[in-house]
Amino acid sequence: MLKNALKGLGLFLAAFLLQKVAFAAEVVELPQEELAQESVYPVFDKPASVKNRNILTTGKVEIGGYYGNAMTEPIFNVSKLGFAAYYHWSEEHAIGGFFESNLSGLSKYGEQLKSVPSSNGSTIRLDFTRAPAPQSSIMVDYNFKAFYGKMSLSKSIVFNLSTFGSLAAGLVKYTHKAYPGIALGLGQKYYMTKQLSLRVDLRMFMHNAPIPFFPGNATVSLDPTRTAPSHDQFDERLTYTTNLGVGVNYMF
Amino acid sequence: MRKFLILLFISTFTVPTSFAAPARKAAPRSYKGPVVSAPSTVKNSPLKQQMNQALALARSGQYEQASNSLFQLARRAELQAERPQLKYVLGLMLMEMKLNQVAAFQFVDVIRMGNNKYVKQAIEKLSIVADSLGDDTLLNYAVSKVDLNDFPEDKRDMLYFRIGEIKLKAREFPKAAELFSKVSARSRYYNQALFNRGLAELEGNQLDIASQIFQSLLAARDSAPVTDTNRVSAQIALARTLYQKQDWEGAIEAYSQIPRDHFLWHDSLFESSWAMLRAARFRSVLSNFHSLHSSYYEDFYIPESLLLRSIVYLYICKYDEMEKVLSLFESTYGPIRARIGDFIRANSDAMEYFSEIERGQQIKKSNKALSLRLPYNVVKSISEEGNVKRSLFYIKRLNDEKARIDLNPGYRSTPAGQYALKVINNRSRNAKLAVGDMTKAHLLNMRVELRDLYEQAGFIRYEMINGKKENLKMKLAGKDLTAAQIDDKIDRTFYVQNGYEYYPFQGEYWLDEIGNYHYLGKQSCE
Repeated sequence: MLKNALKGLGLFLAAFLLQKVAFAAEVVELPQEELAQESVYPVFDKPASVKNRNILTTGKVEIGGYYGNAMTEPIFNVSKLGFAAYYHWSEEHAIGGFFESNLSGLSKYGEQLKSVPSSNGSTIRLDFTRAPAPQSSIMVDYNFKAFYGKMSLSKSIVFNLSTFGSLAAGLVKYTHKAYPGIALGLGQKYYMTKQLSLRVDLRMFMHNAPIPFFPGNATVSLDPTRTAPSHDQFDERLTYTTNLGVGVNYMF
Repeated sequence: MRKFLILLFISTFTVPTSFAAPARKAAPRSYKGPVVSAPSTVKNSPLKQQMNQALALARSGQYEQASNSLFQLARRAELQAERPQLKYVLGLMLMEMKLNQVAAFQFVDVIRMGNNKYVKQAIEKLSIVADSLGDDTLLNYAVSKVDLNDFPEDKRDMLYFRIGEIKLKAREFPKAAELFSKVSARSRYYNQALFNRGLAELEGNQLDIASQIFQSLLAARDSAPVTDTNRVSAQIALARTLYQKQDWEGAIEAYSQIPRDHFLWHDSLFESSWAMLRAARFRSVLSNFHSLHSSYYEDFYIPESLLLRSIVYLYICKYDEMEKVLSLFESTYGPIRARIGDFIRANSDAMEYFSEIERGQQIKKSNKALSLRLPYNVVKSISEEGNVKRSLFYIKRLNDEKARIDLNPGYRSTPAGQYALKVINNRSRNAKLAVGDMTKAHLLNMRVELRDLYEQAGFIRYEMINGKKENLKMKLAGKDLTAAQIDDKIDRTFYVQNGYEYYPFQGEYWLDEIGNYHYLGKQSCE
């Protein structure tokens, strides 16, 4: 045991020393006075944070597909698949739209609520397939591209990124009805090439939506053993859903 | 205090004026101050009353009314004897109204009339207004007339400084240095005078003295902010002195002390490249050029830097890069040279040249898309030349005076107001013509400079072809070097541990990266 430990320590020390020697052997000719010492910027008549940008968007069209996750959806399937298209009319602004289709079925929690023991020993059964589920959304989306930057991951990898705010308005369709809604969001694009980017969107949707529950004394119920409600019988209220979308965009 | 002095001054001669008739014969020589001695035809006439009224207005601080009355009185033939006094007081009134150019004309008139008691005061005041206007013509005129011994002691510093400037311009360096050294440390001209003294010594090749002066200016400004222009100017002057002394490393170190957020930093970046080249620090020179030839410097006129870059590539046998830089020089400065030539051939009127400078100034200030017949970087470079800059400042002062009159319609419509506008318009036009002439002279110099640089580019290209030939011979002999970078075997953690990020350049330039680019290529010479 001790022998192994000493052996390990010896190897570690040898590697450490060799590393030191290896680095010492390389003379990096970057004199101290040439290295960055100030955090201030040079003064120009017309200051601009970046020139000769790698990613130019003005006048270009961008299309993309994405996977969305409704992070605060308790009942129905949280997954969505979407398609988006945008036109960039300047380096700061873009307008476009997206269509996203919700996957059918219930969420993990929705499945768990199918049969729940109550405090009095009986079983509460909730069949959410009786409730109207969200099916799709279609919205016009405006993007304000506030920041353009770059990131380096290694000595040889550097990529550009763009942070933007988004404001969308359109319809959220449920099984029985389409509700007008808006979505406010924040997103970021990581440009892998000048055309191809990874897009991440965090959006909050706000719209009216049916409440998929009934009080216990109601004449209709989600309980499969009782009378099923018609979709019109569900109350509605303003609903907020937070969505995270991750997708790939192509610009041309 | 200033008002009080003026009132005191006015009262010194208005009192005897009021009592001129009885007092003049009684004690004409006992009164030392200026006396308004009205000729017999004027005595007790309405003109005299008008004079008294005008002076009373001046005393009571009603400068506009006083200046108008004095202006009209000064034109009366009957008051020829009083004209120097009237003009002098009119000048004082105009100074109070911040119409320095118009005031200067009154003082010049008083001086030209000569042989009167007001000449000395007029010279003094003329020096002050000329200093404030920054007009070389007026300053030269005032200085040519002035006797330092007659000048009030508290204003002598200004005079020493201005005369020093004139001597410096005339390349009389020892005399200039002597005059600058007389400016006292309490004066607001002190820092500038100290700097100019160093400059005079530097121009006179007294490098050690110049170095000491710049060091002392730096020490004097030690507590000032790092971007204090006097401090930075002293620093860059010190670097230039060290360069002139051929102390390359010292110069490089001095240049590196110039703060990045000061406008002189751009000059230091280019000048330090020369010092690095002389110190054979080729990699460092190329690092600087990466910044200097970035898109941020599209507005800068620095043709020499491209040739310098190509020379460095020649030294390290990077012939392909050299070819690119020479091509860039030709594609950038070829059209510039042609446009300068076309403009000079097509325009002989100085006002046309001034218009270009004026449009360039507008583009600089407002970012307007105004069309220029000359390249913008040329116009910008000329606008930043010392003499043009100074004249533009003078024109600005004249515009300010004109605006002051235009904002006061009551005064504008008076004869004095009309006269003032005429004077200002006339001076403004002449100053613009002078700027036009300066611009033309600079353009002619640029044309000659570009012709010389083109010749040099030809020689460099010849050396490049020769080098390429030698390189091919080496390759055939199997002696060529492989392309390598100085940090090939060092991973990024090395830099991160030292507090620096490292990533490759991919074509775009960032403001926070300017000045931080590092050339990592190795030389390709055998």
